[in-house]
Amino acid sequence: MKLNKKLIAVALGAAFLSAPLHAGASEKELKARMDKMAAELEELKAALKASMQKTAELEARQQQIVAAESNNASASTAAATAAATSAATATATSVATNVATTVATDVATARAETARSASGTILSGYGEINYNRPTKNASAAQTDIRRAVIAIEHRFDEKTKMVSEFEWEHGVVSASDQGESEIEQLYIERELNNGLRGKVGLFLIPSGLLNTNHEPTAYYGVERNFVETAIIPSTWREVGVGLSGDTAFGLTWDTGITTGFDLGKWDATSTEGRDSPLGSIHQEGQLAKSRDLAFHGALNWRGVPGLLLGGSVFSGKAGHNTEGFAANDARVTLYDLHARYTPGAWDLSALYARGQISNTEALNATFVGNPTPVPKSFAGWYTQAAYQLLKSGDYTLSPFVRYEQFNTAKSYAYVPQGLGVETGPDEKVTTVGANLKVGEGVVLKADYQKFKEDKSRDRLNLGMGFAY
Amino acid sequence: MRHLLSVLAATALLAGCSGGGGSSAPASPATPISNLSAAAQLGQKIFSDASLSASGRQSCASCHAPDHAFGPVNDLSAQPGGPNLDTPGFRAVPSLRYMEKTPAFFFAADGTPTGGFDRDGRAQSLAEQAQRPFLAPHEMANASKQDVVDKLKKAAYIAEFRALYGAGITDDAEQAFSRMTFALQAFEQEAPEFHPYDSKYDQFLAGKVQLSDAELRGLALFNNPQKGNCAACHPSARGADGASPLFTDFSFDNLGLPRNTRIPATADPAYFDLGLCGPDRTDLADRKDLCGAFKVPTLRNVATRKVFFHNGAFNTLKDALGFYVRRDTNPEEWYPAGADGVIVKFNDLPPEYRANVNTAEVPYNRKPGMAPALSAAEIDDVIQFLGTLTDGYQKP
Repeated sequence: MKLNKKLIAVALGAAFLSAPLHAGASEKELKARMDKMAAELEELKAALKASMQKTAELEARQQQIVAAESNNASASTAAATAAATSAATATATSVATNVATTVATDVATARAETARSASGTILSGYGEINYNRPTKNASAAQTDIRRAVIAIEHRFDEKTKMVSEFEWEHGVVSASDQGESEIEQLYIERELNNGLRGKVGLFLIPSGLLNTNHEPTAYYGVERNFVETAIIPSTWREVGVGLSGDTAFGLTWDTGITTGFDLGKWDATSTEGRDSPLGSIHQEGQLAKSRDLAFHGALNWRGVPGLLLGGSVFSGKAGHNTEGFAANDARVTLYDLHARYTPGAWDLSALYARGQISNTEALNATFVGNPTPVPKSFAGWYTQAAYQLLKSGDYTLSPFVRYEQFNTAKSYAYVPQGLGVETGPDEKVTTVGANLKVGEGVVLKADYQKFKEDKSRDRLNLGMGFAY
Repeated sequence: MRHLLSVLAATALLAGCSGGGGSSAPASPATPISNLSAAAQLGQKIFSDASLSASGRQSCASCHAPDHAFGPVNDLSAQPGGPNLDTPGFRAVPSLRYMEKTPAFFFAADGTPTGGFDRDGRAQSLAEQAQRPFLAPHEMANASKQDVVDKLKKAAYIAEFRALYGAGITDDAEQAFSRMTFALQAFEQEAPEFHPYDSKYDQFLAGKVQLSDAELRGLALFNNPQKGNCAACHPSARGADGASPLFTDFSFDNLGLPRNTRIPATADPAYFDLGLCGPDRTDLADRKDLCGAFKVPTLRNVATRKVFFHNGAFNTLKDALGFYVRRDTNPEEWYPAGADGVIVKFNDLPPEYRANVNTAEVPYNRKPGMAPALSAAEIDDVIQFLGTLTDGYQKP
């Protein structure tokens, strides 16, 4: 009954909104309108009553059938009387099943009608296809279906929803191919009575600007920026529980306890750890070691229109008390500060991120001679400016420029006798390009990236992306 | 509010898991792993039973001595055997330690031959490997499986054998022999002394001891892809799953060893042991590209050995390492000169297979006149490091 009242209220609200009152309207007109609305309301009530009756009837019928099915003996007797053949039992069962199915469908439809305003399943998705051409080594040019994602969100009721994202990367996934198939998000979120939001499952860590907002239509440039892939390991998700809330003055907070990293996965012989230290030891909910859990917290302030100021911290041990492991006390800590300002046609942003892995001396001693020991710290920052230059119909052209500086191994824990690896200089990358949006859901991108240290990486990128 | 409380409660519960010492979990009793299965206990007896040989003086343990890491006690290139223990062998005896994780032979996706037992990988299991020595004329030299089983019938433990495998088991030589090798396999897999993982290096990996300066320098040279590059085939790091390193990737390599005239068979100029492509192994005879390739052995306990490589060409680690890094820069140190005075490299292979020798990877990728990948002092450091791979390290 509660629900019905709500439905009526919603209907009334909708009716008022769809019938704007003009100040200059005559009293007669006004009365006519009110009468019409009253009549519509009566109709709505009647329809609702009918629908409720139908639901009740259908439920009653369904209960009868269920009761009949549960008593096979009486069912077959009734069937025998009706059909009077030796195959009566089978026929009756079949008839009963058909009726039951029909009734069940009707009931479900009626329920769905009643609850339409609260529940529902939304299918969405995004994808991107990129082309990279190193300008000094064209033979390394590559085209890749970077990702195709199907997202399903289901709202159980007004307060409870399930969010999921299923992703395929690099086109082909098989034991002998390089693609990956993965679950990127899978969590339940419930709005609590006090306005807080609780989350449980596999969800994105609220770090930086890109991680929780990683659809290709949401960022500038063909490739995601380096700082938020090499330092913050986007798309970074963990399994755990989270709690979020909004306070006055436009402040949003997030906190939670989740799985963390597994330093036991560090491979000092490969370059993976140099490309993205945390990306090489993330667990992604895949049989994730959970002896050590991690804490995270984030604050984002949107108190002035167009401005976002925020920061986050994530910290957790990464050794998991593994037998025979030399870095059981190692702790991974990552924090970031970010800002985005969108006055008029401008879209300006800046971000700083720094990660640390502590207590790796003994582990790195076992890695001497290898090219990729565990870094003690890694950090980077970028600043970016985009400007909406042209808008014509569905088309929006936004050129942008981004400068970023990052180092995936800014320092190493002490290794005796100079047997450690030298830290390298920060890499500095300038990216110049443009996003051409077609409507809200499609984007074509082109940019050029210039590397200050490893000039062989200079490249031209083209990409298409979409999100719906 | 109830929802908030339940979320907080769950949060607290999860947080609780990350701290403390898990005191609520019952401590598992420290049971000694030496509780061998009945089969393994039989295997242990068979392993050291010299009466199962034609000579009556040779058991598995004679060549695979338990106090020498289940490897040879002496520096003979190949151990003699036969009825009078005077029939010369062909290959150096490997250690039987750390065999429990060796996979059966297969070609990896990239074509790399991998795994298997015996130096040519032809035995698919430890049990299959255990058959050969009983019957080989230069080893225990039994005439047949029936011959072995007849000897078994007189063993002190025959009652145990029959109790485990059935009273009539020895009536069928084939079946009885297969149970013997199965029991040997069980012993090798179960007995902790075959895989103790208690070397200094293991304790170092666990963060419990530190390596000395020379040992650490040696490890760095061992790992360094531009120096020793040893870890390329003898991995030294724990696996992503936390597994202890075995110091072998189970692959095969062709090192182009010098011919070892201490193996009497080499007196015949036509004699060549070509590993994967034969003559002992027969199924890959057509794979001429694999001729000369032998299995990469574990380096655990390598410092306890006095004979190295499949043909036992060297008797010291210093020579073995010197050969790796100076084979191509100073071939005259390792190979004889031909009639024309030119050094004959890779002379333990027929000329047509010498191109199979690995000359591409560090430290082989050199020519005369170039500096060896490791200096004499660096070789000494690597030897110091290899010493940390000897089992049974006690922290002083």
